[in-house]
Order: sequence, then C-alpha cells, then structure tokens
Amino acid sequence: MTDKPKIGVYICHCGINIASTVDVETVEEYALKLPNVEVARTYSYMCSDPGQALIKEDIKENGLNRIVVASCSPRMHEMTFRKAIQETGLNPYFLEMANIREQCSWVHEETEEATAKAKKLIAASVAKVRLLEALESKEVDAEPAALVIGAGIAGIQAALDIADAGFKTYLVEKTPSVGGRMAQLDKTFPTLDCSACILTPKMVDCANHPNIELLSYSEVEEINGFIGNFDIKVRKKARYVDFDKCTGCGDCAKECRVADRFPSEFDQGMGKRSAIYLPFPQAVPAKYTIDPENCLYLKRGKCGKGPKCQEACGVGAIDFEQQDEFVEFRVGAIIVATGFDPFNPSRKPEYGYDDYPNVITGMEMERLVSASGPTGGKVVIDNGEEEIEPKEVAFIKCVGSRDESVGNEYCSRVCCMYTAKQAHLIREKLPDANIRIYYMDVRAFGKGYEEFYDRVRRENVRYIRGNPSEIFKRGNKLIVKAENTLTSTPVEDEVDLVVLGVGLEPRAEMRQIMDLLRLSQSGDRFFLEAHPKLRPVDTATEGVYLAGCCQGPKDIPDTVAQAKGAASSAMIPLAKGKVTIDAQVAEVNEATCRGCGFCVEICPYTAIEMVTVNRFGHEIEVARVNEALCKGCGSCSAACLSDSIQPKSFRDRQILPQIAALGVIK
Amino acid sequence: MDLDKLRETAAEVAARDDVKYLIGWEKGSYGYRVAPAFAEDADGTADMIFSPLCTANLATYLTLVEKLPLPRGQEPDNRKVALMVKGCDSRAVAQLLVEKGIHRDEVVVIGCPCPGMVDPALLSEKYPETEEIAELKWSDDGFIIVRNGEETAVPREELLAEKCRLCRYPNPVVSDIMLDEPVESWEPAEDEEVTEIEGKEVEGRWDYWQQEFSNCIRCYSCRNVCPLCYCQDCILDRINPSWVFRSVNFSENTAFNIARAFHLAGRCIECGECERVCPANIPLGKINRKLAREVRDKYGFEPGLDPESEPFQASYKPDDPEDFIL
Repeated sequence: MTDKPKIGVYICHCGINIASTVDVETVEEYALKLPNVEVARTYSYMCSDPGQALIKEDIKENGLNRIVVASCSPRMHEMTFRKAIQETGLNPYFLEMANIREQCSWVHEETEEATAKAKKLIAASVAKVRLLEALESKEVDAEPAALVIGAGIAGIQAALDIADAGFKTYLVEKTPSVGGRMAQLDKTFPTLDCSACILTPKMVDCANHPNIELLSYSEVEEINGFIGNFDIKVRKKARYVDFDKCTGCGDCAKECRVADRFPSEFDQGMGKRSAIYLPFPQAVPAKYTIDPENCLYLKRGKCGKGPKCQEACGVGAIDFEQQDEFVEFRVGAIIVATGFDPFNPSRKPEYGYDDYPNVITGMEMERLVSASGPTGGKVVIDNGEEEIEPKEVAFIKCVGSRDESVGNEYCSRVCCMYTAKQAHLIREKLPDANIRIYYMDVRAFGKGYEEFYDRVRRENVRYIRGNPSEIFKRGNKLIVKAENTLTSTPVEDEVDLVVLGVGLEPRAEMRQIMDLLRLSQSGDRFFLEAHPKLRPVDTATEGVYLAGCCQGPKDIPDTVAQAKGAASSAMIPLAKGKVTIDAQVAEVNEATCRGCGFCVEICPYTAIEMVTVNRFGHEIEVARVNEALCKGCGSCSAACLSDSIQPKSFRDRQILPQIAALGVIK
Repeated sequence: MDLDKLRETAAEVAARDDVKYLIGWEKGSYGYRVAPAFAEDADGTADMIFSPLCTANLATYLTLVEKLPLPRGQEPDNRKVALMVKGCDSRAVAQLLVEKGIHRDEVVVIGCPCPGMVDPALLSEKYPETEEIAELKWSDDGFIIVRNGEETAVPREELLAEKCRLCRYPNPVVSDIMLDEPVESWEPAEDEEVTEIEGKEVEGRWDYWQQEFSNCIRCYSCRNVCPLCYCQDCILDRINPSWVFRSVNFSENTAFNIARAFHLAGRCIECGECERVCPANIPLGKINRKLAREVRDKYGFEPGLDPESEPFQASYKPDDPEDFIL
C-alpha cells in the first residue's frame, strides 16, 4: 500500500448487548493508542444510519483509509459496512470486523475480563486491517432462464411464477407425470377441498405455458458452472412411446399381455397397472410410458407373436427402438423441489406393517378414501374371508417422527392434521365406526387447523394420549396395545383397521442432487438452507434455491409459500441480468504450486482446476481458481502442502500479524 | 535374483530412444557400500546389482530433477526416466502418481521383487566392514555375506531391517517390467515400537520425543532423502512467515519434525529412508508409522497402493471420525 495507514476504530454498544458487559469507553481510549489509529469512537448502534454516517464523515474529514468496526459477527453486518465505506469512495474491502458481541460480550460475564478481551480482539483487527489489499468485485452476465428440479406442487408453483414473470423455465420431473405427492392426496386439510381439483389446473398450466419447457420422465445428469451461468445436461429417459404421436387413449394398456399385473406407484401399490401405463387418469403429459422392468418385449425381446400394444395403437406410437436422449441448456438459477419420501413403517416392526394387511399407512389411506382410488372411494378391508367395512378404526400418530430410535427427531408437521382429516373422511363414510386416534401431542398450529381439530373431536373421534407399544393379531382382529397416559391405564383395543400416521423423510436418492449441486444436509438430513430464519430458501451454493419438503417437512400452504419465495429469489439474478462475483476468493501462487491437485479434490465448490502453463520452457501443471465459483472458504489453503493457495484478505501475511497481536505467537 | 537378466533388461531399457536415463544400484567404493547408478546408455548398466544392501529408495530422484529455465526456442527433454524399485519404493512411485508429482508417461518402472533388506547399521556392527569390497546375497533362509572371497551364512532374523520385518508389500505395486517372479509375502511383524509408545502417558511420550528431538541437528537429511518431501518451495524454509525458526533447540526441532510428520500423514509409504539417513539416530520411522497406523485404523486408508486413488488429504466422507479434534 502506498499511503500511510490511517485507521478508524468504531466500537458499537449494540444497545446493551455489548455495552453491558464490555466497558466500551475504556476500549475506545485503548484503541486510540494503537499504531496508526487516528480516530476511535463508540456509538449505541453502529449499524444504524447515524452510526454509518459517523464512519463516512470521518473518512471524508480525516482521510481515514482503513476501518475497523468492533461489533457483531461479520456474517451479520460486514456487507452493511462495506457498502457504507464504498459510498465514500474507499475500497469496500479495507474493512475488518472485530466480533466483540458473539465472541466476547455474549459469552462472558465479568466486565473486566470481557473488556480485556475486546481490547485484544480490536488490537488484532487493527494489526490486520493495515495489511488488507484493495479488491475489485466483478460482474458477469446471467442467463435469463431457470431450472426447476421436481414437479410436485412446489416445483409446479415455482416454475409457473418464474414463467409468468417472463423467463424461460425448464421443469424436470423424474416420473412420467407432474403432480408429485399432492396428486395422490384425496382432500386437503383444513378446508377439505379436493386435492386433484386444485392441483390439476396448475399441472395443465405448466404443460401449456409458453415459457415452460416440461421435461417429464427425465433426470438431471450434470450441472456445471455458477450463479447466472449453470450448464445443465438432462437425460430424457426412453418412454418407448412416441411423445408426439401418443393421444393418451389407453387402448395399449387394455391390450397389454400383462395388463393390470403390477402394483401402481400412484395407488401406493393398492391398485394395479399394466406394463404400458399412464400413472393416473389426470396425468400431465397424458402420454403413455412403457415400464422397461416389466414389459415382456423389452425384458425378454419377445411378447407372444408380437407386442399387443403395438397392434392396438391406432397411431403407431409404440417404438421399442427408442433411446434415452440428452438435452443441454444454460440457466441462471436453479430451484430444487425434490420432495420427500413417506416413512417406511417396516422400520417399526412392532406395528406389524409387514405382517398384517390391515395395517396401512396414511398415504395408503389417502388412496383408499379417494374417489379415483383402487376401491372407488369405498373404505373396505379384507378380513380374511370377505370384504367388509371396518367398524373399529385406529390411527397412530408420530410413526417415524419424533422418534430417536429410527433416527428422526423432528416433527413431520403434517401427520396431526392429515390424521384428523382422514378421521373426518371416515366418519363421513362410516357414520357408525368407532374411531380412535393414539397421539403424543396434537400440533394444530396453522390457519384454521385448531378449529378443524375441534370439529373432528366433536365428530365422535376419540383422542387417546399414548403411543401404542405393539400391534398384534387375535382371531381376525388387530389388537392395539398402549397406555392411556392421561389416566395411567393400560389399554388393549380390538380394531379392524390401523392407519399409521407416517412422517416425512428426506428422499432416499437426494445424495445425487447433493453431489450435483454441492448442497449440504441439516441434522435432520433434509437440505440445509443458507440461514434458518433470514435466508430460508437460499442455499450455500449461490443461485440454487430450495422449495417444498426437500428442505424439511411442510404442509401444502407452506410449500406453496416457499415455492413462491424461491421463485422470487431465483428471479433476482434473472431480472438483473448480471451477477456480482465476490472478490474475497482464493488465489494460487503459480510459482510455488507443485500441481498435486489436492485443492482440486477438496474444494467443495469445484472452483479449482488444473491448467498447464509454460514455466521457462517447461510445460507444468498448476492449480487455477474459478473466481465465480470460489466462496473463499479456505479449504484449499488448509490442504495445500506448499502453502501456494490462499484466500485473499486471509493470506498468511494478513492473519499471522492478527494472531500475533492476540499474543499467541511471536 | 539373476544379475545377468537384470543387466540385460537394464541395458535394453537404457538404450531405448524414449528413455533419458536409468536409475539403479551398483557397488560402492568400499566395504558394504552400494551407490545409486545413473545409466544414460546400455554401457552404464554393466555393473548394476540388486542385493540385500540396495536399501536406498531411488524414487526420490524422480522429483529432484530441477527444471532449469530453457533458452528461447529450445525444446524440453521430455524423455522418460527409468528406475528400479523394490516393493516399498514402488509405493512411493504410486503415491507420486496420485499426487501428480510425476506422470505415468514420464517413467519406466522396473520392479524388483524384494525378499527383504539388511539393516546396514546392524550389519557393520556385527560383521565389521573391510576396506575390500564386500557383498551380500540372499540364501533360502537368510543372507550370505561375502568378504574377501569368504562366505558367511547369517539367519534372516539377525540382520533383517526393521522396516522389512513390518513390510506388507515386498512386491512392486506399480511396474512396467518385472525382473523376477513375485516373492512370497511374509507375515508382517507386530509394530511393537509404536504400540509401546502408544501405551505411554502423554507426559511419557512428550519426554521420549523431547529426548529424541533434542538430538536433531536440523541437517534436513530426512527431508531431502524422502521421496515424498519434494515441494520446490518447502514451507519450513520460508522466512516470511517463518513457521519454523532456524535455531537448533528443542522447540524449533519439534516444530520441524512434527510438521514434517503431519505433512506425510496419509502419504508416507514407510520406506524407512528418513530413519536410515538420520545422523542423530532419531527413530523417525516410529512417528511416521504411528501416523500411518492412525490413518489406517481410523480411515481404512493406505497410501501408495493405487495410482488411481484419491489422495488421502483431499478425500472426505461425512462419517469420517473426528474424535481427535479438541
């Protein structure tokens, strides 16, 4: 640096957050005596407008060229102060924050000791700030298009919002139809509107929208690049049916030699489908798909004298030669909306889900009560002899939720309400049935939820507080064994049908997406958001946003709200057309880099690649940082054996004097 | 080992157009001494040997070559370097390949299946050196010392080097040419030296290493002989910041030795060269083998076996143990 450093130190009271533990006046006096410090001030809220004005004023009046703000964590307000000093014309990276709140006043009680520590932290920041270099952030163009992965209600809503705003949107869905889990539901709590009635119009919209390119039965294979410029490669799996020719008439499925033999995924295995199938009548796109696992012709190369579907198809759409296709495109932002898996109750063997056909899950119950379900909406069970209407129905809540024994400590947030809703639907259909709900707590927290819960209780549905310990069979009845914890009495209830209120789990195959996008998981194994409160739809990977249950269990209103939030966040770079690349990134010293590539392997953001350079006539390999991808995390620096890669503003020569000022090293 | 076959193969390789030179072993100037030999053509290979005295790990020479600035217009000499390797040496080659210290097309690896080396220090102590050239051969169950034409048979256990007693890979893991049939692996001995130190209390371990590191004269022989210590700009040589001061005292010696050991964790292939060359007789093998054991036990990783594998320092699994982090 050319100018002599003139440092200003600004000590924040943070109301009483800092000032009640740290003697800020003493710290101010101390700071004034530190080398190159021209100005030291304290203020009640440095981040407020008048606080920032103080700093700006001093920069102009006193010609300060380095600023230390002693306040909260840089995660909180580094950007605030960078912007403030940039307004005066000073390089925004000439700022160092001393964290005297989270790392000092909040964790100490003794004023004397906390004050001494605050002094040291400020001295360390002063030692470093002198050595900071001017950095320039860059801008790159952003592709005005978005990718949405997963076409359940979250993905559909996000795609529609982005497309409505005028941006091209690619909606990729793994299964043959959009709709996701919501399409499987019967009625939705607490208003009891029919799930299909409110969802199908949106499904049709997203297929017809001029700005949406729907890639159903497709999977994302590769994602490269960074915010504004993600290069995407999608595999369109072969349907063995010509997409353009198929009219969705269904003649093929009727004629299939193995018609209605295979459990229907949509009906949770309770209904059957053919090897060529439409997942459900309202499927979008209404195009048939051949399941290669079960199709005789695809599996064995032979189907009687010839595939019957081919014969039946009036438009000649069946094409057994079809191959997977790849499409490539570029987008500026990505929304992940991959949803959830219902908890598999086989992991709670005490409930006998694998042993007793009349122990079913909530998702299965949805299909059973649905008018489009396998029984046409009749609630009937097979008691071993005949089909009967159950007289005694038991619901068990928190199956696979709030349960450390299966590794799920979290509440799934929907089971209380869907159980109440299903109890209500059964009450409608079977007015005389005895309905019991075994529960730990009832969490009816949403708009209209408590009212709905009250209504269900008044409909002669018995809530029994106590988690059953076991379900077993006696005769052709099921016995639910539990303890009523309100009366401290053991109960053994004879029932015909048990519905397990299974919780929500992260998708089994989410690792694929994690690897593609470098996302992290939170403790509950769902995708981790950038900040639990203030950045709930963002991820640590810039330009990648989360919507729906992939981020954590949610009901439909919350999912839609989050999807709209994610869409609006994703539209920011698209609308701006530019993205700013932070300048605090790693830099390679190519003269000492030995080309081992440890940094390439360890970089969580795939920001480093090996390049061949000519060093005095010799071709050698060295690491190079893609500044747009680098987050400045420093992992590379830790892995480098020859100390050849360091994050700017955190170079050894900058942080060692800082550490030295703390009195740790010479 | 058939020395004629060795020399014949070496001559063929050294004569190849795409080979710059071949590195092997030959007899030294006196006594038991064996020296590295560099043959630029077939003639240079006439005296090459492979005997129980060929302890030196020649892989270290691969990265010692300085790439001097070339005059404008001059093409670099990109011919291959051929070298002879024992089992342990080949692991160094494999690890160098993993770390891109060398590339596969830059080397010709001549594998020498190794029945075990003698401990040179032990040998000179028990069978004093002569001014005359002496040599060693393998017998079926040990070694034969030839001094002044007189042969002495010695049981294997008496002279076998410590690193060879612990050896799990006597046959080269990477090679282009093998000079002999693979030797039969032997049951590696328990590493009791490391277990013994592990058994001590923290203070006991500290005292032990304090004693040993106090003897270090900071000659850096261990670093220079190590096939995997090859950063052109070693951070231990840096002046600003100065991670390790040059003063020879316990504190700085410890910093140096521990930094070296940590830089080798998950990379050291246990060839034992550091310990062999140490003029202060510091048991450096122990500290490296301790870290290798940690890496093996905790992460199931052994370096220098598969040239295609991920480097240990750069691999990460979510369930990696971290109980040693304070």
